[in-house]
This record gives sequence, C-alpha cells and structure tokens, in this order.
Amino acid sequence: MHSLIGAEALKLRTVRGPWLVLAAGPPLVIAGISGLVISGGDLRDPATQAKALSHVGLTAVFALAFGILAVAGEYRHKTITDTYLSTPARGRVIAAKLAVYPLFAAVATLVTALAALGVTAAWWSARGVPFAWGDPAMWATAGGGIAENAVFAALGVGVGALVRNLAAAIAAALAWIALIEGIVGQLVGGLARWLPFYAGQALGAGGKSMLPGALLPRWGAALVLVAYTAAFAVAAAATSVRRDVA
Amino acid sequence: MDDGITVTGLTKRYGPVTAVDGLTFTVAPGQVTGFLGPNGAGKTTTLRMLLGLVAPTAGRALIGGRRYADLREPRRSVGAVLEATGFHPGRTGRDHLRVIAAAGGLPADGIAAVLDRVGLAAAAGRRVRGYSLGMRQRLGLAAALLGDPRALILDEPANGLDPAGMAELRDLLRGLAADGRTVLMSSHLLSEVAQTVDRVIIVADGTLRFAGPLGELTGGRGETLEAAFLRLTSPRPRQPGAVAPAGH
Repeated sequence: MHSLIGAEALKLRTVRGPWLVLAAGPPLVIAGISGLVISGGDLRDPATQAKALSHVGLTAVFALAFGILAVAGEYRHKTITDTYLSTPARGRVIAAKLAVYPLFAAVATLVTALAALGVTAAWWSARGVPFAWGDPAMWATAGGGIAENAVFAALGVGVGALVRNLAAAIAAALAWIALIEGIVGQLVGGLARWLPFYAGQALGAGGKSMLPGALLPRWGAALVLVAYTAAFAVAAAATSVRRDVA
Repeated sequence: MDDGITVTGLTKRYGPVTAVDGLTFTVAPGQVTGFLGPNGAGKTTTLRMLLGLVAPTAGRALIGGRRYADLREPRRSVGAVLEATGFHPGRTGRDHLRVIAAAGGLPADGIAAVLDRVGLAAAAGRRVRGYSLGMRQRLGLAAALLGDPRALILDEPANGLDPAGMAELRDLLRGLAADGRTVLMSSHLLSEVAQTVDRVIIVADGTLRFAGPLGELTGGRGETLEAAFLRLTSPRPRQPGAVAPAGH
C-alpha cells in the first residue's frame, strides 16, 4: 500500500493539469474578498473577518473536480489500463487515491487560505480598520474551509470512479451544485442541511453562510460529508473490481 | 506448466454477442508464439482476459498456472503491450516509467537500461504528446520490459514501427524467447509474423482454427502463410470448442 500511495503522489507530481484546477482557488478568494469589501461590507463588524475567510470553503468545487480527475482522468487518458495491470487489486488503487488526493487538496487549500488571510489583512489595513489576528471565528472558518476542500476531493475520487466518464462526472457535479441541490433543498425544506453542498458550507463557513436556512454544526457537517464520501467510495470500489476495462 | 500460458474453455459473452467461444490452447516458454486472426476474432478480448482486465464468462486464462489477479508481483511475471494502453500526454516518457516502477514495486534504476534497449533514451525527457506513434510503441515496450518479466503478451506490437523498428522488435522478441521466456504476440502483419514466430495460434469468430508449429501450417499443403490463414479463417458453421484438425 505504501508503494501505491507513493505512485499516486508521483502521478500527480509529474503532470500539470490537476494543479491548474486547484490554482483557481487563490484568484477566486482574492476576488471574492475584494468584492465583499468594495460592495460595502462592514469591516467594523467582528463577524466580517470570518465572512471573508469563508470564501476559502467556496473553492471546494475545484477540489471536487480535482478529485474527479483521479479515476475519471485515468480513463480519459487510458492510463487506467496500466494502473490496473500494475495493481490488479483495484480496491487498493482507489484507497490509495483516497489517501493522496484529499491530502494534496488540503495543502493547496492551505495556500489559498494564506492568500485569503493576506488579502483580508491588506484590505482591513487599507481601510484603516484594526485586523484581529486572533479572531477564533476566522481561524475556525479557515480551518473548516481546508477541511471542506479535503473532503470534497475525496468525494470527487468516489464520483469519478463510479461515473468514469470525465466530462459526464464534471458536468453532473457542477449541475448538482449549481442547480439540483438548490431545487432538492427547496423540496425537502429543513432536511436540506443534510445535502452535501449544504453540509460543505456548514463546515467551511460556519453557522452563517450564503445559503438560507439553518445549517449543521461544523462537526456534524464533517461527519455527514465523510459518510457521503464513504458511500461513494464503497460503491466505486465494488463496481470497479468487477468492471471490464475495455 | 510452471511457466507458459494456459487457456481452457475460455468464453466471453457480451449480451447476445459471443466474442470468445470455448477457446483452449497453451503457449510454451522458449519460443515466440503468434496469435493470429481476422478483425473481430476475439484476440484482444482473449489477451485482456489473460491480463485480468476483462472477466471471462466461463473458462480460465492462466499465466504460470495462476490468474493475473493472483500473481504476487504482476509486473515481474508478465509484461504487456496493448493497443489501448495510453499515456498521459503531459507526462514525460521517463516519468511514465517511474510511475509504473513505483506502482509495481520495481527498482527505479532499471529505467535507464530499458530506455536504452528500446532506443528512447534521448526522447525520455520529452512529454509524450510530442511522441510519434513509433515512439509510443517503444515506450509501451519499455514499460512491459521494466519488470524483467517471465512472460510477454503483446497486442499488435509492430503497429506504427518502421522497417528498422520492426527488425529490432523481431530480434528483441526472439532474444527474449531464447532466454526461456514465454512470448505471445498478436499481429495482422503475416509477412512479419512469418519471420518472427516459431508457433502459431489462429482464431476466428472466437473459436480456435489452428494451433501448431509455423512449418506445419505452411508445409502441409505447400501454402503461403497468407493462403493458409485465409483458408482457416473463412466463415464456416460454428462449432464451439473445436480443436483444429492439424494437431498441437
């Protein structure tokens, strides 16, 4: 297993594409935080620092795409054949990807979070407002955002392994986040907070986020997301093992 | 047998279509065996079942007496060159091999030697998107040789090679067979096959049509390989699990 994890890490270190997906994070948070300030956000409200850092959680959609690349990308480039020739125990391949992709996503999100912190502090300074470096809500939000990205990367691995077609998996994931979860959320009312993106926002933005209605507490959201990931991973492993690789 | 490939009653059905139908043959070490048949004969499907990529509907496909999934270190037992094996275009040839070495638990210091052997040492630092078809074939061959495997399974390995490349491949395969390894190679290029193989297995419509030494196939009626091939693979009523009239 150790060599499998090393191989998965080496696969990521020897190509550029997946990193370009994650590289969208920092520009997004810089734009989002700047927008928050420029559109008249109240910098003197202590909650606004955390609100700024909550943009880190939003980049989880890129982490999801990054995770989808893990298996669906291999099918796209037909490197899946070599992968399964090296490791006929296919469940272990998926397990290795589940170990590596969330870790790399977390490191990349750390960079995004540092960028967010820097930009937020810079804006506060530009507006002459003292920046509370020790604000616990802000740090909890930053940490929650990193956790949200890591879990969405893992979720992506499961989704990509189940769907296999890269374009279809990405399209389905985006459609779910942009449209379907919103629609389903309205249909189920209070139960909406158990949906994956809602739970993700609870983890990454805390009690307040851009979604209407009550959200789960952070720890509850984390557990719900881990449960979703486990469900997808088990389904993906079970189907992968028996599937013909054309 | 200890080394060698054994296929017994191998069958694969995709819904109403039977791609491979009760195929039975053996491939012995120490010689190059050609695996021939028309398009759609079931050659690639058979090789994929040997490599554990496709699950048989019935029957067994064993390498050294074991299913691929049961091999402890698959890359050291079998090297495979398949048409569908792909390369990430953004990865260099050398990195492609480093990934295979890492995943297969193979030492990384074998990479330089194998690159030299296939003639890719100079291009190894370039990304695969810049490779010609012949270079991709060589990279696939390098990957197959990396584990110094006892058996080699190749699906149309001469595809895209120029005459010099084909001659080098022929020498390589004959050398590996002389080493005592098992070499199974599928091909369409009968003229190339005639110069490379010792033994042929011919399939059509998923069934076995001939298994025996090359000389026996052509010597019997004084036919060319092409004439014998066309005669054996012409459409005929299906007899599942048929053993060819010319013995093994």
